[in-house]
Amino acid sequence: MSVPPGLYLHVPFCATVCPYCDFAVLVGDRGRRERFVESLIDEVRLHGTDGSATLQGFDTIYFGGGTPSMLEPAQLELILTSLTAELAITADPWTFLEANPEDVTEERLSAWADLGVRTLSLGVQSFDPDELRFLGRSHGSGEGSRAVELAMDAGFTSVSLDLIYGLPGQTEGAWRRTLETALALAPDHLSCYELTIHEGTAFGVRKRRGELIEMRDEDQADRFLFTHRFLADHGYPGYEVSNFARSEAHRSRHNQKYWDHTPYLGLGPSAHSFAGRRRWWNQRSLGPWQRRLDSGELPVAASEELSDADLALERLMLGLRTYAGVDIDLLRSRYGLDLESPERAATVDSLLARGLARIEGASLVPTPSGLVVADTLALDLLGEVG
Amino acid sequence: MDHIRNFCIIAHIDHGKSTLADRLIQACHGVEDRKFRDQILDSMDIERERGITIKSNTVTLNYDAKDGKRYQLNLIDTPGHVDFSHEVRRSLMSCEGALMVVDASQGVEAQTVANLYLALEYDLEIVPVINKIDLPSADVDRVAEEIDEDLGLDPFGAIHASAKKGIGIDDVLEAIVTRLPAPKGDPAAPLQALIFDAQYDIYRGVVLIVRVKEGTLRPGSEISLMHSGKEFDVEEVGLLQLERVEAKELKAGSVGYVIAGIKTVRDIAIGDTITEAERPAPEPLPGYKEARPVVFSSIYPMSSDDYEDLTKALDKLALNDAALTYEKDSSSALGFGFRCGFLGLLHLDVVQERLKREYGLSLLLSAPSVKYKILLEDGERLEIENPMFFPDPTHIKTCWEPFIKASIMMPERYIGAVMDLCRERRGGKTGFNYLAVGRVELTSQMPLAEVLFDFYDRLKTITQGYGSFDYEVLDYREADLVKVDILVNDEPVDALAQLVHRDKARQRALHYCERLAETIPKQQFKIAIQGAIGGKIIARATINAFRKDVTAKCYGGDISRKRKLLEKQREGKKRMKMVGAVEIPQAAFVAVLRSDKDS
Repeated sequence: MSVPPGLYLHVPFCATVCPYCDFAVLVGDRGRRERFVESLIDEVRLHGTDGSATLQGFDTIYFGGGTPSMLEPAQLELILTSLTAELAITADPWTFLEANPEDVTEERLSAWADLGVRTLSLGVQSFDPDELRFLGRSHGSGEGSRAVELAMDAGFTSVSLDLIYGLPGQTEGAWRRTLETALALAPDHLSCYELTIHEGTAFGVRKRRGELIEMRDEDQADRFLFTHRFLADHGYPGYEVSNFARSEAHRSRHNQKYWDHTPYLGLGPSAHSFAGRRRWWNQRSLGPWQRRLDSGELPVAASEELSDADLALERLMLGLRTYAGVDIDLLRSRYGLDLESPERAATVDSLLARGLARIEGASLVPTPSGLVVADTLALDLLGEVG
Repeated sequence: MDHIRNFCIIAHIDHGKSTLADRLIQACHGVEDRKFRDQILDSMDIERERGITIKSNTVTLNYDAKDGKRYQLNLIDTPGHVDFSHEVRRSLMSCEGALMVVDASQGVEAQTVANLYLALEYDLEIVPVINKIDLPSADVDRVAEEIDEDLGLDPFGAIHASAKKGIGIDDVLEAIVTRLPAPKGDPAAPLQALIFDAQYDIYRGVVLIVRVKEGTLRPGSEISLMHSGKEFDVEEVGLLQLERVEAKELKAGSVGYVIAGIKTVRDIAIGDTITEAERPAPEPLPGYKEARPVVFSSIYPMSSDDYEDLTKALDKLALNDAALTYEKDSSSALGFGFRCGFLGLLHLDVVQERLKREYGLSLLLSAPSVKYKILLEDGERLEIENPMFFPDPTHIKTCWEPFIKASIMMPERYIGAVMDLCRERRGGKTGFNYLAVGRVELTSQMPLAEVLFDFYDRLKTITQGYGSFDYEVLDYREADLVKVDILVNDEPVDALAQLVHRDKARQRALHYCERLAETIPKQQFKIAIQGAIGGKIIARATINAFRKDVTAKCYGGDISRKRKLLEKQREGKKRMKMVGAVEIPQAAFVAVLRSDKDS
């Protein structure tokens, strides 16, 4: 592939664990964070000395988590220095940093900008104090706005806001007010995630006990469509299920790699990597991840070799989550999936007839109504064969 | 014979019957402590889990009593459910006495009463045991009062115990020896031995568990089963001390096992009387009743690949379950399976659970049905227990369905509600028996089909668990029978068709439609679910098209998890049963077909 690979660094720490989060996170003290940074640098070195270096010329570096902003700028710098020294990074990589509003200060912002961070992604989630409390966020409603305002003046190329909607009982009006507040801050990018209640999270437990009632799928669908329409009308067209950008330049180039099978290397606990047909992932928990590194081994937990069928399903599933859709020719030539076979052509026709997708140039593109049921579209198009 | 005591333990579920049995066995060193598993008699997983005893187990204990003599105590375990009441009766017939366990905090409950009356029917001497006296909620005085008033037993004779803590166990053992009568019988008389249980041993064939009433059973003698007329040669007799221990002979009064080269349980019948071929007893012991299946259901494997395994599993189960019948069956929605016959709903449940646990099969069962008799216009007579074979209604002259005499015991205050339930279930000829103070037995004649559907649960709910239920099949009576079809987007689902009384058709159809509507996942189009008699729609429910399935987050590079979720969904779709264009997950069949359960 001609597109350069991306680099992901998972920082697993959070001040508190949010009740909806099912990522690999933990609350860790300063000492554990320091140890983590050392181990992460060990992992970087292992990849550098590995020699195999399947992946070269990274042009994106993404600090995700967890809460990467809990690391001191000096720690981030240590990591970045080792990356540049050990791995083949392009001259001017696009660096992303996820940050929580409560970690944002003017000093830190300028330190991050000095480190070369180009996209700052702020975990604002909501501006409503009750919603923030419900979501278990530790920042207040004013803190989010203040963080965005400060960040907007700090010289990043892109400032992005994460918001969560579809909270139990949340009205469309309440959600619109949140969006309006966000738009008034004029960020470059918005990620709006509809609340998903995962098993094994605090919300999951409450849902099972019947204490928390998930929004009905009809309402979720309406809210989803509203969000896409509202943001498009206000100059933030969607480009993926949960992502909206002021212009094409502000779309996340890092996440794009996940969606189109561009290779990526993930470092840190639970991080996933992908190259060609192979996907592998690290030990999920900090302890085991660290112990493997301490004994000089790569902390890989498992890997899988993707079959043609796996890749094809992923291509459909990921492509149909984006406004770019799936390239019909590419699907046939690279993935061996023919949308023009009689069975699939009938499925495509039915999707077109039901207004769930359109043909745009050589691509099958989901409409917003299609995006809402993207999983089904992918399975329907894959069909019974295989 | 004076040193033998044959007894059983009767109790309501959870009152500690099995724990008490365990302690008695331990106290008599019937099993080494280190080998001891709690509730050793309940050997089947299902029994352990539900705390009920389905298949009775018997054990012989040697007890050195305070009078300095050694006694042989035969503890005859009894199953605790109406389906197996024939087994209960036979177990009781093998005893002279019973320990009646009552929970010190729960008090006297439905099964306590039902079992007590059964025990009294056989003239058993009863020793009440108030168990769990160590619990903070124990109220021994109140329970003693109930034993007096509800059961009419002498409360002062009750032994206070905690089987769990090992309190009062010695008192119980002494009471068995001093208060229960020794068996009677003449070892020299013509042989009469009651078969009250049977096990299957892969090496030895059928192992009969017997109570010798008269005469003596010895290896080498030729025996005859008085009801079936079959003859066998006795190979071995012995005692059941958790393991089989061979003995020289089994004399009148004793309980033990007999191995006689019997190949399958189908060759014998529980309740039959063993006598000697040479010197037969003048008549068999009472209590013999052929166990005939009265409830029928089709069993399908969830995956058609498992059909072979299901066949083998049923063949094996049938080796030690003589009451189970099965023959091939097939459904267009569910594929190949077996039409099986059972003694009742619990028997059905037990067979299903054993197939699942012991053979690892996932199964679907069709709605239980009874056997109907049908006379056609052309004079032909049919017996139908499978709705698929129900003839064209225009050719039917008359249908008959089996009736039962239901017997429900409960505290007086529930009479009104239980009478309503019986009426609702087409019960008639209702009668009352006032037992002890405040306790009533209600009898009602009603169609068997009416108790197959949600009856136990309703009764339990109505009587707050105090109602107990038993029944006997009476006869066949005329019935206005219809076949209800369930249609999904106008396509009939054959496995969901059922035969019901016309008055019940709408209610039942609606129940099915609603259950399906709850469990069939939303699809891309609206789905109509209908119940119909012939072409006439009598019930209906709708499933709206689904609106959203995409998940918000798909990044961090963990694409595999998301793909696997989709693959799983896809696998699920493959296993869904297609009815027309509608995908019906097996869970929907399970939910709708298990509607007799509280789930």
